[in-house]
Amino acid sequence: MSLLSLKDVRVQFNTSGGIVRAVNGVSLDLAVGETLGLVGESGCGKSTLGKAIMKLVPAAGGQILVEGVDIAPLSGEQLTDMRRKVQMIFQDPYGSLNPRSTVGRSVAQPLVLAGWKPDAIAERVETLLRWVGLPSDARQRYPHEFSGGQRQRIGIARALALSPKLIICDEPVSALDVSVRAQVINLLEDLKGQFGVSYLFISHDLSVVEHIADRVAVMYLGMLFEVGGRDQIWKSPQHPYTRALLAAAPIANPKLARARQRTVLQGELPSPLNPPPGCPFNSRCPMAQERCRAEKPVLRPLGNGAQAACHFV
Amino acid sequence: MQRFEFLGRFARNRGALVGAGLILVVALMAILAPVFFPTDPLRIVGLPELWPGEDSEFPLGTDSLGRDILAMIVHGARATLLIGLFASAVATIIGVGVGAIAGYFGGWVDEIAMRAAELFQTIPNLIFVLTIVVILGSTLSNIVIAIGIVSWTPIARMTRAEFLALRDREFVQACRSMGMSDFRIILTEILPNALPPVIVLSSLVVAGAILFESAVSFLGLGDPNVASWGRLVGDGRQLIRSSWYICAIPGIAIMITVLCLNLVGDGLNDALNPKLRDR
Amino acid sequence: MKPLPLEVRDLRTTLFTRRGEMKAVDGLSLTVGPGETVAIVGESGCGKSLSALSIMRLLPDPPARIVGGQVKLNGRDIVPLPEETMLGIRGKEIGMIFQDPISSLNPVATVEKQIVEVLMTHTELGRGQARVRAHELLELVGMPDAARRLDAYPHQLSGGMCQRVVIAMAIACSPSVLIADEPTTALDVTVQAQVLALLKKLQADAGMAMIFITHDLGVVAETADRVVVMYAGRKVEEASVDDLFDNPLHPYTVGLIGATPTPGAERAERLADIPGMVPPLNALPQGCAFAPRCKRVMDRCLAERPALTAPGPGRLVACFAAEGS
Repeated sequence: MSLLSLKDVRVQFNTSGGIVRAVNGVSLDLAVGETLGLVGESGCGKSTLGKAIMKLVPAAGGQILVEGVDIAPLSGEQLTDMRRKVQMIFQDPYGSLNPRSTVGRSVAQPLVLAGWKPDAIAERVETLLRWVGLPSDARQRYPHEFSGGQRQRIGIARALALSPKLIICDEPVSALDVSVRAQVINLLEDLKGQFGVSYLFISHDLSVVEHIADRVAVMYLGMLFEVGGRDQIWKSPQHPYTRALLAAAPIANPKLARARQRTVLQGELPSPLNPPPGCPFNSRCPMAQERCRAEKPVLRPLGNGAQAACHFV
Repeated sequence: MQRFEFLGRFARNRGALVGAGLILVVALMAILAPVFFPTDPLRIVGLPELWPGEDSEFPLGTDSLGRDILAMIVHGARATLLIGLFASAVATIIGVGVGAIAGYFGGWVDEIAMRAAELFQTIPNLIFVLTIVVILGSTLSNIVIAIGIVSWTPIARMTRAEFLALRDREFVQACRSMGMSDFRIILTEILPNALPPVIVLSSLVVAGAILFESAVSFLGLGDPNVASWGRLVGDGRQLIRSSWYICAIPGIAIMITVLCLNLVGDGLNDALNPKLRDR
Repeated sequence: MKPLPLEVRDLRTTLFTRRGEMKAVDGLSLTVGPGETVAIVGESGCGKSLSALSIMRLLPDPPARIVGGQVKLNGRDIVPLPEETMLGIRGKEIGMIFQDPISSLNPVATVEKQIVEVLMTHTELGRGQARVRAHELLELVGMPDAARRLDAYPHQLSGGMCQRVVIAMAIACSPSVLIADEPTTALDVTVQAQVLALLKKLQADAGMAMIFITHDLGVVAETADRVVVMYAGRKVEEASVDDLFDNPLHPYTVGLIGATPTPGAERAERLADIPGMVPPLNALPQGCAFAPRCKRVMDRCLAERPALTAPGPGRLVACFAAEGS
């Protein structure tokens, strides 16, 4: 049984310009102990999908199953139980902590809500801060006394408090400097080794995802274009969008950068308010044909465990 | 640490420091009134209409009935300040409550709350206060409630704006993702962050309430058993051509207090919202 | 001999704040030849953006002020020039592209109006000619459907299109030097690739000297000829892009490269992180600013600040450990 299973999940928002189908039929499985990278450009719906799994935005259709249990109808005790299993780390290290709460109080929050006793909480907070590499006097201090990287560690400690099975990481390192980013990525990997936690790692940064993920899902305008193992995606990307994305990502190695052929993808992301009919990528795709404008492709298996949504692969 | 920083930033604003000092003097006056003037200030103690300085026993003179103006000012400080504080408290409780719920939940709740606020804002404030007081009766508590009812709308708007900005912040989402109840999020997570500008506004409402009460008393609709400053002005208005000091002295007291409250509000603003002023 | 487009010598910019004076740019020297791209790399607070603003003479004063050094633009030192003269130089001899394209455009003026204004300020063109030229420029920067976009307002355009407009304005008068401050950081990966390709092409066609400021080593590898690495306001290493990635000398450069994951290269188990964080400018250590985070720190590093030395042709490094080895 998968730890997390998404079946045709849909999320939509009503805006003044019309309905935005932010997540438009996503099906995906995440196994125990796995790190799944969810990659895409801004507005592709990757963060919204993460929030739907946390029940921070309501799903308009489909099912989200955590250990086989549909989370939509859960309430009370069962919902609390689900929340214990799935936690989240946010992007903005400055916005994700209450500026008027001490670090100790922020980290203790999930424990308080779970009904822990005060001395057990104090001990646990101490342990959590040590695990993420913060000094134990951090608990009496306020978030503004810490740097971005340290704040992200505090957010990680909070997410770990109830020993979750899955942590949804929503762009956890995008706001950090290069050297600090590496520290946080290493910490996430260490914690995974130590506690066997799984990650849904949402990021726009391909090089980071390539480093941390076991499997990768590529998203574009609310739908999945390709899902596959890390090596498969990087060595033999199938979907034309995945190929374009990889070609566009800068490589921190001047020789490799010069050696590769760069086919720069033309055009811009279409507005999610008004996506092209058929395959949403057809306005930019070098392979687009008549069929792509008429018929929306579905994600189908390619044989080697990978899946792609394209009429021509 | 944080407290010292707060005081430091407050003290950097000279005007606020002077204002706070004078308010403290007025407050002490109010608290210690029975010590200085143990007898009823409304008692007739001397000749009527003694000008200030005319008789050393009554340094601020006497009114048309021969009552000691200094004693009435000192005792009146108590009534005036209490009315200001309580009316502001009523306005703050209503305003923060309505604003928090409107801003946090949004949608139709927000719509109803804001239309209600607009309704209150369209009625001229003074006339509204007078109407309530005339209907419910001229008691101190009714006056306080009436002033609170006309003064909550700006506080509600400010609270709502703060809540709107804060409710989608990631730390609030983090709390929601942990399963924290809406009530608890509003009270323990968002409110402490939304409060600083609201406190500044509340301090200004105290000043506004004092002015309202003065107007009500001046028009003769104040509580007859309370010698607030507004009532002293009102009592003296028949003699304003001859013995103008009877109106002027309590008037100056009101003016100074209101000015000082505004200065303190400014200082609180600097101290609580340091980002606006840094550098 | 024709002077170099840009020659910066010992530039010093200080921030005068309530918390004291901070040396935000501390003795920066660099040269950029025609058609050359020099990347300035560093993390937030290293002084790379303030260096660019100093060169443009666009510092927010207060708190920042140039306290020493020269900025020679085509042989002329612009540091002592009065602001009125600078108005004629900025946009004409030296152009700049900012990180946030949307906020660097005037929200209430059309694209055409903004480009025309630049042209009419710095050239002899009349309004009609300037409008024709504005259209040509938009075509040149690859704006899709350029004729129609002339009448658009910035909020009607995407981030990538806004950045194209900003680039069109920056190159409108064919400046000899172009400074790009994180021009693609706010853009999506596929749009970033478009903008980088565009900048390269424009530079090659016009032979512009370009300073490219970024925190992203991937972007450096893709665009730069030469790289200047900055840390805490100072240049710590300078090398050609190949030398820098093949054989980084300063421990900070080594750390930065190790901390950047490289897709397609062999997968390292762990990223090589740099412990600690960038020190605040008002609390710099006495010796080398990097010493508290450095793996090769020696006693000497804590006491003394290393000067730049030249270990090879075209290379500079400020590190005692790198000198020794």
